[in-house]
Amino acid sequence: MTMTPDRLSGAFFLLFGLAMYFAIIPVFVEQAEDGSIAPNTLPNILSWMVAISGGWLVLKPTPHQIQDLRFFAGALMHAAILCAGIYAMSWIGFLYVAPFLTLIIMIVIGERRPYWLALGVIVMPAFIWFLITQVLDRSLP
Amino acid sequence: MIEFSTILAGFCDAFSLVNLAYVLLGVIIGQFVGAVPGIGPVMAMAIAVPFTFALDPLPAIAFLIGVNKGGLVGGAVPAVLMNTPGTPDAAATALDGYPLAKSGKPLKATKMALFSSVTGDTFSDIVLITVSAPLAVLALKMGPVEVLALMIFAFSVLAGLVGNSLVKGIIAAALGLLFASIGSDPENYTPRLIFGMWDLYDGLPLASVAIGMLAISEILRRLSETGGRVSAAINLINTGNPDDRRVTWDEYWSCRYVMLRGALTGTALGALPGIGSTAAAFMSYAFTKSASKDPQSFGKGNIKGIAAAESANSAVVGANLIPLLTLGIPGSVGAALIISAFMIHGLQPGPLLFENQGRLVYGLFGAMIMANFMNLCVGQLGLRFWVKVVSAPVSVIFSAAILMCIVGVSMATSGLFGVAIMLIFAVLGYLMASFGYSLVIFIIAFFLGPRLEISVAQSLALTNGDLTQILRYPVALALLIMSVISVVYLLRRNQAIQRVEKDAQENV
Repeated sequence: MTMTPDRLSGAFFLLFGLAMYFAIIPVFVEQAEDGSIAPNTLPNILSWMVAISGGWLVLKPTPHQIQDLRFFAGALMHAAILCAGIYAMSWIGFLYVAPFLTLIIMIVIGERRPYWLALGVIVMPAFIWFLITQVLDRSLP
Repeated sequence: MIEFSTILAGFCDAFSLVNLAYVLLGVIIGQFVGAVPGIGPVMAMAIAVPFTFALDPLPAIAFLIGVNKGGLVGGAVPAVLMNTPGTPDAAATALDGYPLAKSGKPLKATKMALFSSVTGDTFSDIVLITVSAPLAVLALKMGPVEVLALMIFAFSVLAGLVGNSLVKGIIAAALGLLFASIGSDPENYTPRLIFGMWDLYDGLPLASVAIGMLAISEILRRLSETGGRVSAAINLINTGNPDDRRVTWDEYWSCRYVMLRGALTGTALGALPGIGSTAAAFMSYAFTKSASKDPQSFGKGNIKGIAAAESANSAVVGANLIPLLTLGIPGSVGAALIISAFMIHGLQPGPLLFENQGRLVYGLFGAMIMANFMNLCVGQLGLRFWVKVVSAPVSVIFSAAILMCIVGVSMATSGLFGVAIMLIFAVLGYLMASFGYSLVIFIIAFFLGPRLEISVAQSLALTNGDLTQILRYPVALALLIMSVISVVYLLRRNQAIQRVEKDAQENV
């Protein structure tokens, strides 16, 4: 049995479904006496659906192919940058973090032209600030 | 039945200056982002939804409709000029559009796409306006049991979206429902799967989930593929012949039957939840090619190929709103985003919307017609500019889109907690899409989940726990039979469409 992308994702969903049913739902779903349908009924059914379908995918995978792993690494790196940016925003606010976040993203993408960098780092956050706080009268995060 | 005065008032609202301004803004933004490969109207709508929070319901929804319609027109620009469709819907347009552009007629190709897009769109809007009110009256006669059967029917039509793996479709739907069950139990209001985070008690915010899965996940995918290249390059040939820069009336009129066929195909497929405009465009293209006396000319710059694809993919937009407005069922991701805009403004799409908000609905119809007209005007004036937009660097476009998503979700969810959820779902969406799981099915299931559970609970209460009593309700029974038929039909049709798309691409 060779490891294909479908087998990999199928195995994940098999384990995820079983973990939901046996470990997570019993602990994190509060039970109630009244009502036509118990609070854990739907999550339990869905967990089994996910687990069984995942198991089926392990046994009968499709020929679906995924991208090169370096693309995954690139996407996860950008997600990590965003995560750090959002965390920083929770401490010092959008207005101070947004220019740096934009600068890092643009440099990672490969942008080196100063005018485009200035547009992204200065003009764009300033435009968003103007749109949100002055036009829509809302506050920035 | 809705009174004539309500209809008239609705149309008057639509034609107010403020609404027209928002429709115009939506169309301009839609065409702009549609012209940027990788952004597209769905992502633009996802980003724009939270910003409509500050608007009244009609301008907000009219704005989103403008973005959606404009995006479809804009999506044809990179398809024609670069053979890189700005939206998947425009992939069929590229089959003849790109060869025509390469032969020195890029403006003729983009203008034909514009004219046929507006023609198809207007046709489907007229169908929507004509049939939705009578359908809503019928839908109003439904009780909880019929609603449950309707929900089952809605899930059965998701079979049309499963692609080449039914099992992956089931997993995507089950995951969507599972995430929808986070929050509180709808009957007892006991906490469920909130892991001690009381911010989750009201459930996962739709804006966070939708924007994370549709916009940020797509941006992550595109960013990972840039590989340090920051701009797109296009070389346009100018023949110097003015006829190559415009579409003559004779050329437009020669495509009338092609556009009618495309509009009918798009409207019919768009009215069925779950069938996308990409499928409609390829089907219309295949029909036109097979009906042509000169099929060999297709794929080499035949203007009828562009008309067939664009009239069909645009006709889906209006028809998609038929199940949304009459039954409250989103037929596509775009429709699901429009539903979230309705909900942000405290409105529940469905048959009651015609009764309670008839003026708003007809205002929306008026706005749709105006959006078509503005699409034509903005397209005529802006096509030359959108050609420049195609070469805008992705570094600026995507970093701006990320900032807008962060701010938009933060506004919609009142804080950064929703933004963190958005990021989690962005990663989940990226991984699911990479491994071939449908995000559209996930989002629609996520949206329908709470209503399904409530319908089950109400039906169980009504039938004393014996769901076999559903068989005593003829409408519910008919819907269940339709569900079975639609699953079988849609799965077979799905395979047929995949064959048609494959053949169309192989023949070029």
